[in-house]
Amino acid sequence: MKRQSIMLVALLAMTLFGAAGAFAAPAAQAVLTIGVDQEAVGIDPHIVTAFSSMRRIDLLYNRLVRLDDNFVVVPDLAESWDVPNNVTYIFHLRKGVKFHNGRELTADDVQYSLQRILDPKTASPGRSYVSLITSIDVVDRYTVKLNLSAPLASLLDGLTSNNCSIVAKEVVEANGNLQKVDGGTGPFMLQEWIPDNSMTLVKNASYFEKGAPYLDKVIFRVIPEQASLLAGVKSGDLDLATISDGATIRQASKDSKVVVMSKPGLNMRIFSFNTTAKPFDDVRVRQALAMTLNRTEILGIAEFGMGKPTGPVPVAATQWAVPVAKLPYASPDIAKAKKLLADAGYPKGFSFKITCSATYEGGLAVAQVAQEELKKIGVTAELEVVEWGVYIDKWVKRDFATMIELRGGSGEPDRFLYRTFYSSGGVNNFLFKDAEVDKYLDLGRTQTVLADRKASYDKLQTLLTEKAPAIFLYCPNENQVMGKQVSGFKLVGNGSLFYVTYTKVKR
Amino acid sequence: MNMKSNSLTRNSIVMTGLAIIGVYIAIMAVSTFWLPFDPVSMDTDHILEAPSLATGHLFGTDEFGRDILSRIMKGSTISLIISVAATLLGTLVGTFMGVWAGYLGGRWDNVLMRIADVLFSFPSLLLAIFVMAILGEKTFNVVIAIGIVYIPQFARISRGAILTIKSSEFIKAAKSNGASSGFILRKHLLPNILVPLIVQVSLSLSVAILLESSLSFLGLGVQPPAPSWGNMLSGARKVMVIAPWTAIYPGIAIVLLVLGFNLLGDGLRDILDPRLRNVR
Amino acid sequence: MFRYIAKRLLSLIPVLFGVSIIVFFLVRLIPGSALEMYMGTQVEATPEQMVELQRIFGEDKPVPVLYVEWLGRILQGDFGYSLRTGRPVLPDILSRLPLSLELTLLSLMLALLIGIPQGILSSLKRNPFSDVINRVIGLLGLSLPQFWLASLMVLAFANFSGWIPMGNYIKFSVDPIRNLRMLLLPSLAIGIGLAAVIMRYTRNSMLEVLQMDYIRTAKAKGLTKRVVILRHALKNAILPVITVAGFNTGYLLGGAIVIEEVFALPGMGRLALYAIYQRDYPVIQAIVLMIATIFVLVNLVTDLIYAMVDPRIRLDDGGR
Repeated sequence: MKRQSIMLVALLAMTLFGAAGAFAAPAAQAVLTIGVDQEAVGIDPHIVTAFSSMRRIDLLYNRLVRLDDNFVVVPDLAESWDVPNNVTYIFHLRKGVKFHNGRELTADDVQYSLQRILDPKTASPGRSYVSLITSIDVVDRYTVKLNLSAPLASLLDGLTSNNCSIVAKEVVEANGNLQKVDGGTGPFMLQEWIPDNSMTLVKNASYFEKGAPYLDKVIFRVIPEQASLLAGVKSGDLDLATISDGATIRQASKDSKVVVMSKPGLNMRIFSFNTTAKPFDDVRVRQALAMTLNRTEILGIAEFGMGKPTGPVPVAATQWAVPVAKLPYASPDIAKAKKLLADAGYPKGFSFKITCSATYEGGLAVAQVAQEELKKIGVTAELEVVEWGVYIDKWVKRDFATMIELRGGSGEPDRFLYRTFYSSGGVNNFLFKDAEVDKYLDLGRTQTVLADRKASYDKLQTLLTEKAPAIFLYCPNENQVMGKQVSGFKLVGNGSLFYVTYTKVKR
Repeated sequence: MNMKSNSLTRNSIVMTGLAIIGVYIAIMAVSTFWLPFDPVSMDTDHILEAPSLATGHLFGTDEFGRDILSRIMKGSTISLIISVAATLLGTLVGTFMGVWAGYLGGRWDNVLMRIADVLFSFPSLLLAIFVMAILGEKTFNVVIAIGIVYIPQFARISRGAILTIKSSEFIKAAKSNGASSGFILRKHLLPNILVPLIVQVSLSLSVAILLESSLSFLGLGVQPPAPSWGNMLSGARKVMVIAPWTAIYPGIAIVLLVLGFNLLGDGLRDILDPRLRNVR
Repeated sequence: MFRYIAKRLLSLIPVLFGVSIIVFFLVRLIPGSALEMYMGTQVEATPEQMVELQRIFGEDKPVPVLYVEWLGRILQGDFGYSLRTGRPVLPDILSRLPLSLELTLLSLMLALLIGIPQGILSSLKRNPFSDVINRVIGLLGLSLPQFWLASLMVLAFANFSGWIPMGNYIKFSVDPIRNLRMLLLPSLAIGIGLAAVIMRYTRNSMLEVLQMDYIRTAKAKGLTKRVVILRHALKNAILPVITVAGFNTGYLLGGAIVIEEVFALPGMGRLALYAIYQRDYPVIQAIVLMIATIFVLVNLVTDLIYAMVDPRIRLDDGGR
């Protein structure tokens, strides 16, 4: 009897303790694990250029404005803004936004950040987006005024770039730069970073948007093999994976355990000409090649069809892009191409080199298909396949005849087109100088009425296709593969992970 | 126990190795004038097709619709040539260095072997990657890169062999008879180092193929569209989830040829090594 | 003996010096630079920004001057900062050293575990047929391209995530069981090749020893075959095998590069590979110097063991 009652008491005690333990134990954390194939190089938003770094910065920092999933400029840190004339912008900041170190964000921080970007000593890639800013005035605690030297229609779009994030001055000064530390206001904060392995972010409990983010933790894992990324999502080790390889995406689409999101991005695949290298200094030769390459076929092989043919403005930027069908050379015309070549003095064709690299950006697959297709007009292409570092070197030194490139386009035409095709543009590696193109680029940049700008850019797209400093091929899709437990995520064409802020995970 | 069964064993290993190598050489010869399909041109209607007798693609097609069997056959030429050329380079330069270092001794020995040491202190693949990065990824440079990796090994072997005989009575006698250095080298020393050299050469041939395919796999060797077994495997890496044959067959091609050279080298070592001659 | 050791250690200095010069100058011969890769094809920079960038990336002075500066700093223990990440080089490399060492050690252990028994077995075989089969299998291990084996392993085990690191490498100090489990396959991929080499040397050593007089004497004394083998032959055969394993450390260190890449392990080999891809000169210089040093030291130790074991080798010239 006594033994039994002792047992009973013990059992009761254990149950009570167990229950108390259950209450005391923290509720299960909502953790999202993201698989990426490249490690971030550093996380200072004003310094880094690599896409891999940008993905972390998406979650650690905010900018004045941001792009939504339709490439429309919407408020971020700035609640609203006025543009009294085309060289003055006034931003009204949200109140009560806190940096991760607890301090409130004010107009001084915006001034500091923009000045840091403009400072030559920072050598910031974001500088060119805002280079026309002459001064930044702090009007009051939550109001900032930007003064420009000349009109810049793409300023707002430029300010959405991660390179223009707003940072905390004291964190920069304490650490020299922000490559390894977190000086932001974003929905998540940096907890731990093990290079080439994983990066852990935790929820910013005082994020300015009430309720968001819904996740407690985000973990980035670096897994170079595409097949392993897919396997990770299938097994549940990963919730989300950025997969770029067409074959793997195709495999994923057939699998009912995972969800594939795929959307044409802002990146653009182009076949570049060095317009000073014979025979490509003759526009007819360039046009002949433009008339021969079959975008759909190249897309089919190089990306397994996952993308969309495009003109000079990324096809996903629907507000500005002229449909490909309305642009010249929309479909191949071999006979006309041959005639053009003969007119230019090459009736029997000629031979030349295509510089490319085995990396994804280097477009080796595209080069191989192009080589094959150009045989139809008697043109012999020899592939110069080089290692990525050498590829960049040749690009910088303009040491090529033709090249396969992957360019980052923009939703706003000025940001991409000006620097790329203006005769003194910073990334105009085609050495392309055309007065008419320059004229329309300047117009598009300075005009303020939307209809006028649209007309200028429509004309520009036709001009660029005809003068062909490059052949505009296609925009590959941005892809994310995720498990069924993920909800609330939206894919943005520029690869941004911003919508992780509204993502939930159900286990 | 049985001497005869032993030499039978040894011989069969060498013979198997030779047989395998012979098959590859035959394939290489055939591929110069006939291949089932064009190894380089794309066939966009037949991408990533599984092997089948019906289509004629016995090993299937790759991500560009190219016939894998034809590419493997064509690749045999590239692999064999690179392997032989690189080993030749390493042997000639390395042996030259080692023989002079061993024979001349003193300062020459020091300098030459220091150079060999510096080269030797890099792991083979890392050194090859380094050289390729500097010279650029042309097929010819792969020969140079692998050749450089081999120099120290051949230098050491030939130097060691020279040293063990240098002070023997035989040589001293010849010298005191007034024989010139050149004569001594040719008549007495060289035949002596031939044995370890031959074994090392056949083993180097096998390693060269592995090095070349590793370099091509990393994108630093033979560049596409020219088919090398290594770069075929590199391209297969992404598609092997849906098309495993793109990864299996080129790999088997590598394994068998390397095995052939290894069998040859191992068998030769068995036959030629005096210490093992009288075993059981 | 000690004079020999001292002489060898002294001779290391010019070798490492030579390595440092080669690395520093030749690495700058590779076309492309970290600065160019940082800029890529998307970034515009003004001339003033370029001046600043060149200073940051260490391209503002002639190469010999940079070399002397670098050498001076190295001798004080300062290995500089990575051009890509801006982080100090030495701590990053050192943090990866344990993994590379663990991988090397595990590969060696597996190779010995597989190679020695196989070598012993094949040395005992009476039957020429099975002898051939055994030898061929052994050599097969040597003929498999590591990256192929690794890729196939990743493919086969993709669904068993506990066996493949997949960006989730856990240190031994944190969780030994999981750590060993995820390093098993990579070590196997490296070890199989080395096992073949060890098998061959074990076999040869065993064959040599087995026929010696004192073994015959022991047999005559009536000891069982197993005791004979285990006690006498093995003792003498093991040492050369260990030295062979030492000589092949280079193979292990080099082979790790591809394996680390395919299995996504954050080791030194992968750091070296990426540093070369990205022209991250300070990292390349530091890693190559470190690997070369380890390599050379291990070779020295192995040479010494080899010389101690085999009296036929004369120390002044020998064993090299």
